[in-house]
Amino acid sequence: MKSSRVAKRYARALLGLSDDHAQLETWGTELERLARIADAPELALRLASPEVSHEAQIEAMAKIAERLELSFPLRSLAVVVARHGRIADLAAVSESYQDQLDVLLGRARATLTFAREPGAQDTAAVVRGLEAMVHKTVIATVKVDQSLLGGVVAELEGKIYDGSLATRLGEAARRLAG
Amino acid sequence: MQRSLIAIKRRSVALAISTSAIVLAPATGWCAESGGEAAGGGSWLSLVFYIINFAVFVWILMRYAAPAARKFFAERAGGIRETFARAETTCREAQDLVSRSAERMSQLDAEKKQLRADLDAETGYIANRIRELARETALRVIRDTELTGAAITEAAHRRVRAKLAETTGNLARELMVRSFTDDDQARLLRGFEEKLAQEARR
Repeated sequence: MKSSRVAKRYARALLGLSDDHAQLETWGTELERLARIADAPELALRLASPEVSHEAQIEAMAKIAERLELSFPLRSLAVVVARHGRIADLAAVSESYQDQLDVLLGRARATLTFAREPGAQDTAAVVRGLEAMVHKTVIATVKVDQSLLGGVVAELEGKIYDGSLATRLGEAARRLAG
Repeated sequence: MQRSLIAIKRRSVALAISTSAIVLAPATGWCAESGGEAAGGGSWLSLVFYIINFAVFVWILMRYAAPAARKFFAERAGGIRETFARAETTCREAQDLVSRSAERMSQLDAEKKQLRADLDAETGYIANRIRELARETALRVIRDTELTGAAITEAAHRRVRAKLAETTGNLARELMVRSFTDDDQARLLRGFEEKLAQEARR
């Protein structure tokens, strides 16, 4: 919880640096890359090791940011996070940044799980239906799960909209079992 | 007690008089006989002599034998009185004992009756209680048996239904996997989109 609050504060600080939505999107992508690298097990273990000094951690984060060719605010953020010993919270910062950016831009993220590989039209149709429901732009992540047998399951803003055949079958079996 | 003593005294006096009469009667006869032999001289003198003699004898008797006899009789009377008193006391005690034992017997009888009545009442109560408990237990056993039977039946029904549902589900799943087509998927997606649209309209 404390880590989440801290992550929200860092994310809010980064969001407050610009009003340009395109710029904020770019920073979000860069932050996600940085968090993914810092969260990689081989690097995370080394950075968390007590053998690595605080200065070395800061220097390592600065070099990583430089290698990734991140913009200046992201490089600064990497150094600040390292200086405050919050490298392990970078993933949470990135997640919180995306959430706050989505709110700021009126977007929602959805996970669509299809029983079969969907066509672009199918995905777009489901996304449209979700957008009409929440009145936001929906950014969909598509997955395939054959155990659904047929149909689709959409997860949006903590709610699950289940249109799968497996669930219908399960319900029918439960009704039959009484 | 007093009456007995008076009777004893009277008997003692009568005995003394009888003894005197018996002693004196031969003397009177002897005097008369002597008078007859003398025929007009010395017989009365003999009588007087004998009377005096007898009087002396009586006096000696009264002087020396009477106190001893009186003492003997008094002691004897005292002994008798004491014996009589003891006998009376013993008799009274025996009567007391008899009355007490009779009273005790009647008490025991009453206690026995009371005990029997109490035992009868207690036995009746216990018998009733046992009967009630037995009836309650029997009813409980019947109720439990009915409930258990119903539960077993219900569980069996549930198991059968669950097995049926599972088998049907598996069959349906196999059928769908085998015969599910892209058209079916498209139809399902259309249905899902309609559901989303309905949600959006709410």
